[in-house]
This record gives sequence, C-alpha cells and structure tokens, in this order.
Amino acid sequence: MTVLERPATLPTPALGPAPSRRAGRRRRRAVYVPLVVIAVAFLIPLVWLVSISLNDDAGLASGSLLPKTLHWSNYRDAVTLIPFGRYAVTSLLLAGVHAVLATLSSAMVGFGFARLRARGKGVLFMIVIATMMVPAIVTLIPTYLIFARIGLVYTYWPWVLWGLGGSAFLIFLFRQAFSAMPSDLEDAAIIDGCGWMRMFVSVFLPLAKAPCLAGFILTFTGGWADFISPSLFLSNDQTTLAVGLSAGYTTPAGTPLYTTLAAGAVLYILPVLVIFLVLQRGFVNGFVTSGMK
Amino acid sequence: MTATQTGGTLRVPARTTAGTSSAARGWRRYRPATFYGFIAPWLAGFVLLTLFPLGYALWLSTTNYDGMTGRYRYVGLDNYTAIASDPDALHALARTGLYTLGTVPLSIAFGLLLAVLLNQQIRARGAFRALIYLPAVVPIVGSALCFKMLFNADFGAVNAVIGLVGIPPVDWLSDPGVFVVLVAVTLWGVGASMIISLSGLQGIPRELQEAARVDGAGAWQVFSKITLPLLSPIILFQVITGIIGSVQGFVAPLLLTASSGTASVTSVPQSTYLYMIHVYAQYFAYGRFGYASALLWVLFVLILLLTVVIFRVSARAVFYENAPDTPTRRRRTRETPEVTR
Repeated sequence: MTVLERPATLPTPALGPAPSRRAGRRRRRAVYVPLVVIAVAFLIPLVWLVSISLNDDAGLASGSLLPKTLHWSNYRDAVTLIPFGRYAVTSLLLAGVHAVLATLSSAMVGFGFARLRARGKGVLFMIVIATMMVPAIVTLIPTYLIFARIGLVYTYWPWVLWGLGGSAFLIFLFRQAFSAMPSDLEDAAIIDGCGWMRMFVSVFLPLAKAPCLAGFILTFTGGWADFISPSLFLSNDQTTLAVGLSAGYTTPAGTPLYTTLAAGAVLYILPVLVIFLVLQRGFVNGFVTSGMK
Repeated sequence: MTATQTGGTLRVPARTTAGTSSAARGWRRYRPATFYGFIAPWLAGFVLLTLFPLGYALWLSTTNYDGMTGRYRYVGLDNYTAIASDPDALHALARTGLYTLGTVPLSIAFGLLLAVLLNQQIRARGAFRALIYLPAVVPIVGSALCFKMLFNADFGAVNAVIGLVGIPPVDWLSDPGVFVVLVAVTLWGVGASMIISLSGLQGIPRELQEAARVDGAGAWQVFSKITLPLLSPIILFQVITGIIGSVQGFVAPLLLTASSGTASVTSVPQSTYLYMIHVYAQYFAYGRFGYASALLWVLFVLILLLTVVIFRVSARAVFYENAPDTPTRRRRTRETPEVTR
C-alpha cells in the first residue's frame, strides 16, 4: 500500500522487485471498485426518499422505481398539512439556544480544567470523563419525572438548563484546546491587569474559534436530531420538527401519506446536509475527533 | 488521588506549591475559588441533572410508585427480583445483546476497512470520504424514515429489486425482517466509525510502516503487526461508545415499526423490542414507575460492569504509546498539561 504512495522518482531497491504497472492498476482497482459500490449504495436510501417525495400514490402503486412526473406539490402539502414552520422554528430555537449555551459553558469549564488549579481537580476531571459513559437516556427519564413535579415540563427551560450544564465531550475538547495555548498569554494578560474571567473572555476564547465552531455545530445538529427529549418534555403543539414529522402526515383515518411524509423528511434532513457539505472539510478532516488525538 | 481524599479540609499546606518554577505565579494559579468558579456550571449541572436524577430513579426503584395516585410504599428489592421473572424484560435484554453483538463489531470492522481504503492516495478521496460519511450526519428520525420507505412492503425499492430475481415481496417492517432493517439503518451510519478510525490511521507515523516494509513485511503483516496495535486504543474507544450507544437503541426501532403515523412503544414487534423500548413502555404506557426505574438501574449497572470488564480484558491487547512499562515513560504529557509548561 505504501509502495503506491511513493513518488516515482524515488529509487526503491530495498523493497524487492518494483511492482509492475499492471499490478499497480489492479491494486488501484481493488480500492476504487469497493469504494464506488459502497458510496453508491449509501446514497440509495436518500435518492429513494427524494424519489418518493416527488411521486404520487398512483405512481407508488404502479411500482415504477422513479416518478413519471414530478409532483412538487408534495412539498407544499408537507409544509401546510402540519404546522411545519412552527415546528421548524422551535427546532431551530431549541437547538440554537442549547448549542450556544453548551459551547460557551463548556469552554469556560474547559478553561478552568486547562488553566487553573485547585484541590480535587484531577478527581473532578475523571468524573467529567466518566459522565461520558453514563447513557443519556438513564438520566433523561428521571429528569423528566423531576421536571414534571416542579413544572418545567412543557416549557423550553430544560434546554436552557442542559445548555448551561455544558457537555462532557465539549469540556474535554476545550480543555485540550486551552491546554495547548502558550502560558505567555496568561502572563501578558496579568501584566495588563486582567482578571481570570476577562482573560478567558478576551484572550483565550477568541483563540478557540475552531473548537467553538465544532462544539456549536455538533451540539446544534444533535439538538436538531433529538427525538426523545422533545417527545418527553414538550406537548404536541409546541414540539420540534423531529417529533412533529414522525407523528403527522396521516389522513384523518390514520393512513400514512407517504409522499408527503417523504417530502417533509427531505426538508427536515436538508439543513443538516447543507451544514455538512459547507463544513465538509472540517467534519471529515477531524474536528469531530480532534479531542481524541 | 488517595492523597487528596484523605485530607478532608480545604487547607493544603505547602504540598501544592511543589513543582512550580516561580512562586510569584503561584498565588494566582492556586486560588481554588477561581477554579471552582469556572467549573461551577458543569458542577451544578452534574449534581442537578445527572446525580440527582440517578438518585431519584434509585429511590423510585425501591417503591411501587405509579405516577398517578401519589400513594406509594417502600417495596425494597421487589422490583429487582421481579425483573428476573419478567419474560419481556429478559427477552428485551437478549434482543439488545444480539443487536449490540451484531452491530458494534460489524460497524467497527466495516468502518476500519473503509478508513484503510480512504487513507490511500487515490483520486477524489475527499469526495469519497464525504459521501460515505454523509449518512452519519442524517438525523435518526430522517434515516429511520428513509429506511422505512426503502423497505416498505408495497412500494419499497428493496422489494422491487428482489422482485426482479423472482423473490416474492417481503413484509420487512414486521417480524422477523424488521431486525434486518434495524441493523441496516445502524450500519448506514458507519461513517462515524470510519472517521474515527481514519483520524487514528493518520496519526500513525509513516516511518513505522515503511521500516517494516523495508524489513520485508507484506501489506497484511504491516497492517496486523503495526497498524492494528497502534489503532487499538481507538478501537477500544469505539467498542465502549458503541456498546453504550447501542444499548440505548430506542428511536430507530420505535420509528421503524410504527405502522401508521403515531409511534407507540406498545406496537413494536418482538424482533426489535429492545430493552429501552421495554423500559419506556413500563414507564409511560403502564405507569409502573418503580419497576421501570429498577430496569433503568439494571441497565446502568450492566453498562458500568461491561465497561470495567472490557477495560480489564483489553488491558493486554491494547497498546498505549505511553504505557507505564515502556522505558520512555511520559505520562505527564497527556494527563497534566500544567506540569509541562
């Protein structure tokens, strides 16, 4: 494998007989063929969804794989049959508020763990790491029961609270980022008479734009995708798109309207895919995993 | 750790100032109040949104609380012994085990294979990476709906394709086919695993692999003797997060199987009746809060035990660059960045 990557000009006598051109081609084919097959196979579910979203019931019943005429009206139905706009705004609002708060709060906590010292810090950081191992759903349902008792259910407050609490993964990410910054920054800030909070806000935070963006995107897409929390904590009228989408789109008798549902699903998935494609380089080249290296 | 725990009081004479170069720096760095101020949001969140709910569930699990009447009494461990004689719970646990065993190793192996392929110098590598990672960013509700359409008995593409070779249409979304669909939708997100393995592969110094090639190792030998051991911490990480993720499996089986619009935990068929579906049903369909809380705690403890066991078992197999018994011991670089500065 590494032989392939070697520039042709480098003599490689120690490696035994140089691979013939035909062997190289065969090897390249062994890489491309499975990749093309898998990439195409992975796109089929999405293509199928789009295809159904442009079909009509007669087209579905006839069993043809692609719609004969494009029924864009499905998309109009998708946004009018259920309060699509309201659901989308709720999703946007909850995911946005949660992501902003969680990013800032995690940055602050991560800064504390990276730059400050106190007794018990090591143990506390171990706890941060350990909470990543606690299944979210195990705490979520009891949280719901508690919030139901104190009247926080059917409000958006849970998302604010979760945001303020930060996320263990982001804290880890920010700790890594702030640890790597030179301590001269601190000295300079101290000489200028900065307190720790000022130092964090105006010296360190601006230098952590990449982890901030990563944290925001990850939390935001997570919030947009979340199904369980809104279905537990919110009523059907005030819920998010993820829940509204999966429950709406039926005839009054309860028969699912597949073409409209598919159109709604496309509209729901699209923003995430757009975010991904715009920031694709960042996603694929590792900010998702940057904390783990 | 033990040293800090024995103290009990907040005053620590002299110990903390050891190891600093300048005493002048000391005063500001060692003010514990500043540290605790900074981590206060997390600490409050941890106590109120993690510890307290866990404790509340533990307390509920010793009662027969039903969430409605407000009357309940202490029942001790009755809820826990009831689990052992609840066939649905045991079935759900076994199903979840099967689902975990089926998807976690497959996802990791498939992800690793893709990562190796996508780590080659090939044309359009970025496009391939993006395309294969793409499904992993699709929200679970979206991917469940996608696969519901794909495997629909009447108009699904899968039945259309198998119809071409003369196989009669299969009702995928009920027993037992729905388990296949669940595994398929899980594996569709293999890009997440691929990206993690890829970042691990990129962290392996090329000289190591080239040195092995020079010594006459074949491609497979390089992979199994060099690449794989160096990747083992990342694989361990994926095993643990994969298990934790898959035992929480809830949304996909719920949405895949709801025949009409509204999803209901009580209509999930046998083959995808995962543990969390059972827990959810006990809570919100039957109102058995005490019993469901016991189920939740059993899951929690099982995960903890499983994690410990995996760490123990893998201790030999996993290779850490800064393992304690290697001569170039450098534990400090990762654990305590302050010391290095």
